[in-house]
Amino acid sequence: MHILATEGLTKRFPTVTAVDQLTVTVGSGVTGLVGANGAGKSTLIKMLLGLLPPTGGRASVLGLDATSRGAEIRRLVGYMPEHECLPPDVSATELVVHLARMSGLPRTAARERAADVLRHVGLAEERYRPVGGYSTGMKQRVKLAQALVHDPKLIFLDEPTNGLDPRGRDEMLTLVRRIGTEFGISVLVTSHLLGELERICDHVIVIDGGRLLRSSSIGEFTQATQTVTVEVDEGLDELAARLAAGGQAVSPQGRMLVVKVLGPETYDAVRDAAADLGLCLIRLEQNRHRIEDVFRDEVGAHV
Amino acid sequence: MSEIYDIGYRHYDGPRLGRAHATLALAVHSLRGVFGLGRPARSKLTPFSLAAIMLLPAIVNVATMALIQQRVVQYSGYAVIMQAVVAIFLASQAPTLVAPDLRHRVLPLYLSRPVTIASYVGAKVAAMTTAVFALVAVPLTVMYLGELVVDLPGPPATGEFFGSVVMALALALLLSAFGLALASFTPRRGLGVASVITVYLLSFASIPLVYGALASTGHDDAASWAWLLNPFWLVDSVQSWLFGTPPHSIEGGYPSGPASAVFLVALVGLGLGALMLRYRKAAAR
Repeated sequence: MHILATEGLTKRFPTVTAVDQLTVTVGSGVTGLVGANGAGKSTLIKMLLGLLPPTGGRASVLGLDATSRGAEIRRLVGYMPEHECLPPDVSATELVVHLARMSGLPRTAARERAADVLRHVGLAEERYRPVGGYSTGMKQRVKLAQALVHDPKLIFLDEPTNGLDPRGRDEMLTLVRRIGTEFGISVLVTSHLLGELERICDHVIVIDGGRLLRSSSIGEFTQATQTVTVEVDEGLDELAARLAAGGQAVSPQGRMLVVKVLGPETYDAVRDAAADLGLCLIRLEQNRHRIEDVFRDEVGAHV
Repeated sequence: MSEIYDIGYRHYDGPRLGRAHATLALAVHSLRGVFGLGRPARSKLTPFSLAAIMLLPAIVNVATMALIQQRVVQYSGYAVIMQAVVAIFLASQAPTLVAPDLRHRVLPLYLSRPVTIASYVGAKVAAMTTAVFALVAVPLTVMYLGELVVDLPGPPATGEFFGSVVMALALALLLSAFGLALASFTPRRGLGVASVITVYLLSFASIPLVYGALASTGHDDAASWAWLLNPFWLVDSVQSWLFGTPPHSIEGGYPSGPASAVFLVALVGLGLGALMLRYRKAAAR
C-alpha cells in the first residue's frame, strides 16, 4: 500500500521552480529523500502537509488528497522542521505536552504520551529544564519528540541530523531506524548527505532541482554497483594487466585496484591471478558502492 | 525487589479531539502566559502589580461609600480614568503572547497540526481580550459588590454597572486586536512593547492638538470627533450612546453615537485583518 503518492506535482515560486513534475510513490517503512540544499525537499514536505498549495499536479498522503484534506492529513502525520523552532524559556516536557494538546490529545493523555516519547528519544532528567540551555543534539531530540507525541501514522523528518556531531548523527539515525521498524511508524526522512541514509532506509528517492532523479529500493542501489578492492604488496600493474586480459573491468586507484564484480568468478579470477604471479595479497575487500556514487553517476549522465 | 521493564513503544488509541479543543487549549495556555502563570515569578510581577493598581481606586471607592456614603468613581468612567494602567498592561503583555512564537519560529509546529492560522490568531485574541476584560471588569465588580454590601441610599446603579461591563468587553477586544497586531509586526519583545505604548501615547497626545486646532477655528462640532482618536474615549462614546451615561471626555461631548459604534467595529475589523495578514505572511516563510 502507498502511504504517499504524487503525480506531476509542481511548485513554482516567482523566481524559481522548487518542485518540477514530480511523480513518485512511497510505501511503508523508512524512505529517504535525498537532494542537495535547494533541491526542493522542504517545499515537497510542505505540500504533502497541505500547507503549501501546489502550482500543478496532485499529491496524496495516507490516501487523502493534500490540497483538499490537509487538515485530516495533519491530524495523522508528524513533522519535524529543519530549522530551529523551539522557544527557549519552556521545558521540553511543557512544550511537548502543549503540542500534544494542539494535536487534539486530552490533557492526561498528552502528559503520558509526552513522558513516553521523551523517554524514547533519550531525554532524561534534563527534560524539566528550559530548552534554551540544551545542546544541539538535545534540541533535535525534542523536535523529534514533538513530531511523535500524537502517535502519527507517518512522520516527516526534515534534515534530522543537521548540525549534529558524528556521534549525535549516529544516535539520531539509529533512532530514526527504530521509529520505522520497532515503532511501526512510516518515515520520510530528508538529507543532503547521501551516505547516512543508506544505513537506515528501505527506499531512497533522489531529487535534484525539483526533478526526480531516481526512486528505488536500497537493495537496487547497492547491488547494481558492487566492486571489490584488491591490494597487493607489489606488482600491481602486472595484476591489473592479467585481470584485464581475463575480461575483468579493472581501474587502478592509488595503491589498490578496484575490480567490478561480474559474478562469483571475479573472485576466482583475482585469486588465481595473484597466485599465478606469485604476488603477496594484502587485501581483498568487497565494497558496497555508496549511494553517493550512484547519485554522482546519474547527475553526470543528466548534464 | 521490583524490576523495571522496558515495555517498548506503545501506540495511542485514545480519543483525538478536534480543532475546537486545540484552539481552546491554546487560548487557555496563552491566557496563563499573559499573567505569567506557570512561569518564573518575575513574569508574574508586571501583570499582577498592574492588576493591583487597577483595583486600588475600586477599593478606595468602596471605602468612601462605606464611610461617607458617597461614590467617588462612576462605573462608566472607570476605564477612561485608569486608561494609562490598561495601556501599560496591554503594551507589556501583548508582545509576550505573540513575539516568542514568531521569533523562535514555533509557528510551523502549530500549523503542521490541526491548528489553522485563523484558530491560532483567534485563540491569541481571545486570550488577550479575556485578560484585558478581567483587568477592567474585576475592579468594577468589586465596586458593585461593595455598593450592594454598603447599601447606599437610593437604588444601586445596576444598569450602569452592567453597561460598563459590556463596554469593558468591547474595549478589551479593540485593544487586543490592535495591541497584538502592533506587537506581531516585530519578533522582538522590547520593540513590541515600545510600539504599542507609542501608538497609545500618540492617540492620547494627538487629541488636544486636533481638538484645540478645530475648536479655536470655530469648528466645535468637528472638534468633538477628536475624542474618537483614543480607544478609551471611543468606547466611552459608544457607551454614552448605548447606555445614556454622561460623557467622560475632558471637555465637550462626543459626536453621534452610531458613527462612533461603526468606527469602533471598523477598527476592530482592521486590527484583526492586520493580524491575519501578518500571520499569513509568517506562515509562508
